[in-house]
Amino acid sequence: MSTDGDGSVKVVPVRHVGRWVGVAVALVVVAMIVHTLLSRLPTGQKACQGAGATRVCHAVTEWRFSWDIVFRYFTTSEILHGLLITLELTVIAMAVGIVLGMVLAVMRLSPNRVLSGSAWTYTWFFRGTPVLVQLLVWYNIAILYPRVSLGIPFAPVSFLTLHTSTTFTALEAACIALGLNEAAYMSEIARAGLLSVDEGQVEAATSIGMVRRQTLRYVIMPQAMRVIIPPTGNEVISMLKTSSLASVISVIELLGAATNIYSANYEIMPLLLTASLWYLVVTTVLSIGQFYLERYFARGALRTPPPTPLQRMGRDVAGILAKFPSRRVVSGVVER
Amino acid sequence: MTETPALMVEAVGVRKHFAGVEVLKGVDLKVGRGEVACLIGPSGSGKSTFLRCINHLEKHDAGELLVDGQLVGYELRNGKLYERNDKQICAERARIGMVFQRFNLFQHLTVLENITIGQVRVLRVREDAARARARELLERVGLAGRDGYYPAQLSGGQQQRVAIARALAMDPKLMLFDEPTSALDPELVGEVLDVMRDLARSGMTMIVVTHEMGFAREVANTVYFLDAGVIEEWGDPREVLTHPTSPRLQNFLSKVL
Repeated sequence: MSTDGDGSVKVVPVRHVGRWVGVAVALVVVAMIVHTLLSRLPTGQKACQGAGATRVCHAVTEWRFSWDIVFRYFTTSEILHGLLITLELTVIAMAVGIVLGMVLAVMRLSPNRVLSGSAWTYTWFFRGTPVLVQLLVWYNIAILYPRVSLGIPFAPVSFLTLHTSTTFTALEAACIALGLNEAAYMSEIARAGLLSVDEGQVEAATSIGMVRRQTLRYVIMPQAMRVIIPPTGNEVISMLKTSSLASVISVIELLGAATNIYSANYEIMPLLLTASLWYLVVTTVLSIGQFYLERYFARGALRTPPPTPLQRMGRDVAGILAKFPSRRVVSGVVER
Repeated sequence: MTETPALMVEAVGVRKHFAGVEVLKGVDLKVGRGEVACLIGPSGSGKSTFLRCINHLEKHDAGELLVDGQLVGYELRNGKLYERNDKQICAERARIGMVFQRFNLFQHLTVLENITIGQVRVLRVREDAARARARELLERVGLAGRDGYYPAQLSGGQQQRVAIARALAMDPKLMLFDEPTSALDPELVGEVLDVMRDLARSGMTMIVVTHEMGFAREVANTVYFLDAGVIEEWGDPREVLTHPTSPRLQNFLSKVL
């Protein structure tokens, strides 16, 4: 065993050959993507300067991805208005979905067969038909029900009558269709969350005299949230993009606004990119929000909360710095 | 105003079955005010089920079960037994403390919140008064200053002592312990038993399902040996545990002692 002057032994870390090959491949792919994103194409035109013998010409090029056009439209009022409608659709549909989904989940777990059966049937129907079909059905609901009246089934009594074609806008139809569809998925997520809470928690709450409603609200729900939040975040992000389907029923949301513009000026790719970039921006913001929400509801479940990205970055930097002076073992203890 | 009954818990012929299996086959038991009763017996003998019947976590099928002179879960009016509604049952239950084998502390709440939530939400005590009471109880179970900890940050023995404090916060007239030390490492059993011993000394009526024979001998007024759903033998612990008459109890004691 060779030792240094101070009696410590040098530690040779394991070489991860496969990992380094993977890193090299990944770097090449990243470079290719960056290159193509920033590449320029000749337009076929020439720009010349000067006259006679000093005349210099060079080929005119433009961005392959037309970044100038993408960013020119990025903050136009039509796109921003479309973005607003997209956010509105997402928020309303998710609100309907979460509230109704929770109700359905509690119904599904009820010992009463009629309640659990109705919840099951709801989920079966709304999960079993395409959301695009549901959008079209709600948009055209006036064909089926020209009038909606509130009354007693099978009795010639009605308290309130509405004309669907005048009361339902396309945006409202989209909110209802997306919200009701979402509720079916949310109910399954919420049910999984409620079932994840240990039976002992319910017994403890019951033993201190809480009624079922209090147990649900103060003991089960807060703990179920830990399981419910991550897939719900996924659903929000998914809804943000699913809402683009509403463009089919003439709701001018983000994608609708982009298609409207490119059908007039034929700048198809730049406008699709504009819309995509906005979807990415919103998704990023939502992901950050989800991280902090998860961290909040994880309290008590973990002895130490997970680090925030900033803390993790700090640790990574500290870790890399610590690697520079080689680690040495002194009587079995690793020193840095 | 009726006079306070001398017995805190009275069971006469309590029966209970799960899916065709009879777990309790007519259990009789009497616990006086301020007394400590220990329930011992092999696992599956129905000890826990009986305990859970007392605070109506399980519904007994037959027999009479009275806590503080009142029928558990029913009301006798005009010669008929009326089932009590959830609200009434919960109000009854709030005054019966229960400590579980697996602690069952609310994982998402701090130690202090675990002890205040019942006071605030069920007894409608003001938040600051509840907090003061919780601190007092934490000191009593030897955990002063652990207010802000989450249950996962405590040892099993500490969690069980918080669970006892949580039950005491409801100002119970009766405390039920369902194998409170069975899930603990051996060196942590003592700290929980100490708290229970103090509680018994302070005059709390307690029914304890336990395998700690030393504790039963020292603290209990009466020991009940439950086997296969019936009370095989009962009486003064020094008598029952040292000179068992039934062969089953002799056999049981030879295994646990």
